[in-house]
Amino acid sequence: MGDNFDNLIGLQKVLQNYGVLITFSGRFTQEVIEELGDAVKKYLETDATSLTDTYNVFSVFIEQTQNIKNYSVKKDSSSLGEQIANSGVVVIGKSNMGYFVSSGNLVATQDVKPLIDQLEEIKQQDKTGLRKMYKEQLKKELPEGSTTAGLGLIDMARKACQPLTYSIVQVDEKVHFFSLQVRV
Amino acid sequence: MDGLIIEQTKSTPKVVLDPQKAKLSIEGQSYPENAFKFYEPIFTWLDEYLDQLQQDVVLEIYFHMPYINTSSSKCMMMLFEKLEEAHEAGKKVTIRWYYDQENEIALECAEEFKEDLGLPFEIIPLNDEGINNGK
Repeated sequence: MGDNFDNLIGLQKVLQNYGVLITFSGRFTQEVIEELGDAVKKYLETDATSLTDTYNVFSVFIEQTQNIKNYSVKKDSSSLGEQIANSGVVVIGKSNMGYFVSSGNLVATQDVKPLIDQLEEIKQQDKTGLRKMYKEQLKKELPEGSTTAGLGLIDMARKACQPLTYSIVQVDEKVHFFSLQVRV
Repeated sequence: MDGLIIEQTKSTPKVVLDPQKAKLSIEGQSYPENAFKFYEPIFTWLDEYLDQLQQDVVLEIYFHMPYINTSSSKCMMMLFEKLEEAHEAGKKVTIRWYYDQENEIALECAEEFKEDLGLPFEIIPLNDEGINNGK
């Protein structure tokens, strides 16, 4: 690809090889999430999957994109706010193993360690352990003014047919790029 | 006491709180931008309502929510805690949770809420024609 913006064949081929059905890159707003969510659901309904599959994919999509959006809001007042808000990407695709939902965004360097810790803890759990973790978190008293419940990653792991996979790549000393893949 | 009606949007359910009929219904998907902000007025209303609820009145609650995101689940949990507390104080509260019969996720979600609650909680499948929809 490169600087040739009037020719998107390269990008289109990459997406096709990847098995991408729907993708969005840029700033996530509630409106974008709702519209894409509808598109995902409509697509899956015509793709003759079960209603359960449709809602599993839809719900992983919602949790991933709302996580990115909530994180952007949290970082809004920091010097990295703009950069983080514009870094979101989500991909819904299909491979021979089924559907997958992947997302990526920039994460401030100091937030990387807690994120890895949380993901590793989740990855160690089987379905019973995840259920227990979910219930505990669900009943936990949240600090005053919370806007998130801390349940998103656990819920994605519960809906996934395989353990979550992720990668974290350092971009510079301030930010890392975080990618998360969930197979449904 | 006044009722409260919140109209449905793409990401928020329709909510009807009717003090005259002693009914609360929540219908539709729930994945608002900020679930805590969305559910706040419902909590406030419910606190006040449950406080004055007479022992001989049954508060009937209907849910039909095909999809709930995690922060809305947290809010539902908070709502159930309020209802459970009222139930333990001897007030009469019944829950009916409707789900579309192919929607296993909505069923599982209801079952997980139900297992921790002592108040009457009925889970009712709906078929394509909405039969069983005894509202």
